[in-house]
Amino acid sequence: MSATTKLTAAAMFVIAASFFMLAHPVVAAERTVKIAAWGAKSGPLRSFGVNSEAVLKGAIKAINDSGGVKLGDGTMAKMEFTYYDSACNADQAISIARKVESQTAALAGIGPTCSGAAAAMYGIFQKKVDDKSDSGLQFPILTDTAIRPGLAKKSQWTFRNVPNEITMYDALFKWLRSKYPDVKTIYGGTETDQAHSRITFAAVIVQKARKYGFEWVGGGIEGVTGKIIAGMKNVLKVSKSSNWLLADTNFSVQARAFKRSGADMMIISSHPFTTCGMLKEMRRQRIRPKVLVGLTSSSSAETLKGCSAAAEGIYIPTGFAPITKAAAKVAAAAEANGGAADLHSAAAWENAHIIKQVVEATGVMAKPETLKADRRKVRDGLEALVKVNGLMGEIGRVQNEGESIKPYVFVQAQKGAWKVVHDPR
Amino acid sequence: MSDFLLEFVEITQTIGDGLFFGTTYALIGIGFSLIFGAMRKLNMTYAAAALAGAYVGLAAFTFINAPAPVVFLISALASGLIGGAVYITCFRFIPINNHLAALMASIGALFFIDEIVVHTTDGSPLTFPALFDDVMFEMGPYGVRGDLLFVLAVNIVSTIGLLYVLYRTRLGLATRAVSQQDVAAQLCGIDVHRTNAITFVLAGLLGGIAGSMTASAVGVLSPLITVPLTVKGLIVSVIGGLGSIPGAIAAGLLVGGLENAFLYFRGVNERDMYVLLLLFVFLIFRPDGLFGSAIDRD
Repeated sequence: MSATTKLTAAAMFVIAASFFMLAHPVVAAERTVKIAAWGAKSGPLRSFGVNSEAVLKGAIKAINDSGGVKLGDGTMAKMEFTYYDSACNADQAISIARKVESQTAALAGIGPTCSGAAAAMYGIFQKKVDDKSDSGLQFPILTDTAIRPGLAKKSQWTFRNVPNEITMYDALFKWLRSKYPDVKTIYGGTETDQAHSRITFAAVIVQKARKYGFEWVGGGIEGVTGKIIAGMKNVLKVSKSSNWLLADTNFSVQARAFKRSGADMMIISSHPFTTCGMLKEMRRQRIRPKVLVGLTSSSSAETLKGCSAAAEGIYIPTGFAPITKAAAKVAAAAEANGGAADLHSAAAWENAHIIKQVVEATGVMAKPETLKADRRKVRDGLEALVKVNGLMGEIGRVQNEGESIKPYVFVQAQKGAWKVVHDPR
Repeated sequence: MSDFLLEFVEITQTIGDGLFFGTTYALIGIGFSLIFGAMRKLNMTYAAAALAGAYVGLAAFTFINAPAPVVFLISALASGLIGGAVYITCFRFIPINNHLAALMASIGALFFIDEIVVHTTDGSPLTFPALFDDVMFEMGPYGVRGDLLFVLAVNIVSTIGLLYVLYRTRLGLATRAVSQQDVAAQLCGIDVHRTNAITFVLAGLLGGIAGSMTASAVGVLSPLITVPLTVKGLIVSVIGGLGSIPGAIAAGLLVGGLENAFLYFRGVNERDMYVLLLLFVFLIFRPDGLFGSAIDRD
């Protein structure tokens, strides 16, 4: 066969294939419910994105395996997701949000895993629905992982499904009060360059401890009354020598401040790396408080990988533990997908199912021409939710704030694993 | 003990701890200085390569349960190899006078190496083995960590070893010759590229020791510390005098001690501000650092 004949045959094949494709528009027009997700998949907080993506992948497979999502006209559609890397960086999170809203057919977004990035990104969304003077993004977001209190109320398009630290620490200190009636004094430190660790420590943890009668060593802190945020600046002031930064490597001064305090209860409000650094230094200096309390974000596999022996005995409240059948299934799915389900990432599973529920309840059509209306339906549906089923039980929604009230348990590090020591559900 | 004495003990203990920890800064600073001394170029990849070496050592600990001394040795060797690779990719083929290109290439390599580590470990903090981790020497009201004493001893031995190589061997003679006048050194038959490559490997070996000692002192290894360690290394080498090894040692101890003192008196939020202010003061009033010679070349 000559070269010309081969070329002609190839061209005819391409033309024939094109006609075939055009003659079967169903293939091209198959309807799907598209989700855009993003989180830190690079940088030091990569585990957030890796875990969130692994859980989401499992959730979407489970939804599709059970038939998919029922659209407004009764058609069953598959759910698809694309995961972008926002690297825990506000600029990247914002640019992905803009791109997803304007250039993709995604109905909703799940991201951006980090509180700092979420706080900045939420700012570019339309604050109030139907406000014509506000040209902010009109695209529903349902965030997992980013746990800093009170972020979602920035916009009526932004929603979160993260544990409520205010409720959890309130219950934790109430429980600790009854479990340790002889414990009187507290002392602690936080990584001050991490807004979540700092705010939760100074505005929530110390206040809740005070509320249940645990007094800061030396007679309390001015302005700290047990009310959230009250006296927050003074908390950071009195703990200035016992605080540290996210990338610190030397904790000797802080640990000695802890030791000097002689407090019955010590609080370490930081992420796994510095939690481990601080706990190891405390161990070296033979500091053994009666009770040790940690930040929610440290109730993860990372802490146990980094310092399981030093972390022995630390109490942390968490919104996820594989203690129900559903939660155990998610933990297994996450592991199979190369990640881990924890209090942060497990919410991605719930989010995919919440979106499915909302799409089905609001009659989303998932057609190119209905994209804008569909996004609005999803937003309205998210706002209208009062309760949804979560992995650990029923999740309540704070509708005007876009936040959630999730069930929680208290875990303690015991012999290299997180054990549930109290289940208030 | 009176309040005054208690405070005195606290302050001296704080500064003492800082000095001990400062030895790791000194090792990083020496690496920067060694390369700057040899090539008059900054290798921004240095701390990243040091920590990457420590990760390779950690892999040996994780997968074959290697004992701590073997982990430290593997860390040093791996970092030495990475140092050699960095020389080839970021310095070898860039014209000697193009300082900016080499600097930018090494900054790119810093983030590249860091990202490889992040992708391999998912950024999780990992337990790093230490020797004498549970030993605490108590002398009256003072306490000294056994592992930090070990770190200090290793750092002293490494520095003496490096100085021996530089001042008592033909390789050291060649390195110093290239550092003083590379053209003349070449005319004397010294292979400049080979000498520079060996300098990078030597600095890398030292970096691997510094990386593993830092990780061992913290007890945990995380990619979070790459950039802060790079910044500390730069500060130490500038304050000590770029190219000066004794300067890097003195500045490492100075920065370590002052850092802890600032933390104790002013809190963590102001600590780094004062350290950077110190750098600024040196750059303005003593740009050649503590022991550096005038930064020019014939």
